[in-house]
Amino acid sequence: MDNAQLLNEIRETNLTYLLLAQRMIKEDKPAALFRLGINKEAAELIECLTPAQLLKIAAGNMLLCRFRFDNRVLGDMLSGYVKDKIMASSHAAVLMAGQGAEPIAA
Amino acid sequence: MAGKSLVSEARQTHMAIDLIQHGARLQLLEAETTLSRERLLKLYKEVRGVSPPKGMLPFSTDWFISWQPNIHASLFIDIHRYLTAHAEIRGIEATLKAFKLYLEHCQAHATEPVLSLTRAWSLVRFFDAKLLQTTPCTRCGGHFVVHTLELYDDYVCGLCRVPSRAGKTKKAAEQARALELKQAA
Repeated sequence: MDNAQLLNEIRETNLTYLLLAQRMIKEDKPAALFRLGINKEAAELIECLTPAQLLKIAAGNMLLCRFRFDNRVLGDMLSGYVKDKIMASSHAAVLMAGQGAEPIAA
Repeated sequence: MAGKSLVSEARQTHMAIDLIQHGARLQLLEAETTLSRERLLKLYKEVRGVSPPKGMLPFSTDWFISWQPNIHASLFIDIHRYLTAHAEIRGIEATLKAFKLYLEHCQAHATEPVLSLTRAWSLVRFFDAKLLQTTPCTRCGGHFVVHTLELYDDYVCGLCRVPSRAGKTKKAAEQARALELKQAA
C-alpha cells in the first residue's frame, strides 16, 4: 500500500468515525457516551462540530479513534481464549463497562 | 394531586408505556410514576393485552449472587454506573437506558437476557439500600456484584474461576445434542 492510499484510508476512517459519533450523540446522548466511551465534554465538542470542521479534523495523518482494550486481560478476552464464546464476550463487556470515560485533558 | 399538569401527565404516561413494553411490573410503575393505580392498570392491559401479574416482587439479594445472574447483573450495574457517572441521568431514566443497553448486548451476542427490567430495577434499589455492592476481581479487574459487609480481599469473579457445573443446564445439553445430530446427519 503506498503512502497516498494509506493517508486516504486514514482520512476516510476518521471521517466515518466522526460522522457516526456525531449522529449517535445527536440521537441519544447517554447511550452514545457509553458506546463511545468518552466523557460529556468530549461528546459536546464532537456534537457541535460543523461539517467543514469535521473534514478538517479528519484530514490529518493520524487516526482519531483508538483501542479501548488497553489492558492485556481484555485483549486476550476479546480474542476469545476462553472455551465459551458467549462467556468471553460477557466478561469483556463487564470489563469495558467498568472502565472510565476517555476525558479531554484540560 | 394538586396542580395536575397535562404535559407532565402525558410525559409520565409515555414513560409508563415504555416501561411496560420492557416488561415492568406494576409495583415498579407505581413507584416510579405519579399516575394512579387504575390508570396504570388500564395502560398495562392496553399495552400488553393481559392483566399484570399479581403477587410480590422477588426480594432476595441472593439471586444476584448465583453464577449466571451475577454476570448479567454485574454487566448491568457497570453500565448503569457509567451512565450515572458520565451522562448525568438519574433514577428510572438511567435504569431504563442501562437496561436497553444490556438487552442490546444480549442481542448482539445471541444470549438470552437473564435480567428483566423489574429485576434490574430492584438491583439498583438494593445498591441504593447498600445491601449489595461491587468489588473488583483480583484477576481481571472487572467489577462484580457481591453482598456488602463481607470480606473480599482475594475475590475472584465467576468468570475467571468458572464453577465446574456452571452453564451446564438441561437446555444447553439438549442444544449440544441437537448440534451433534445435525453434524452426524
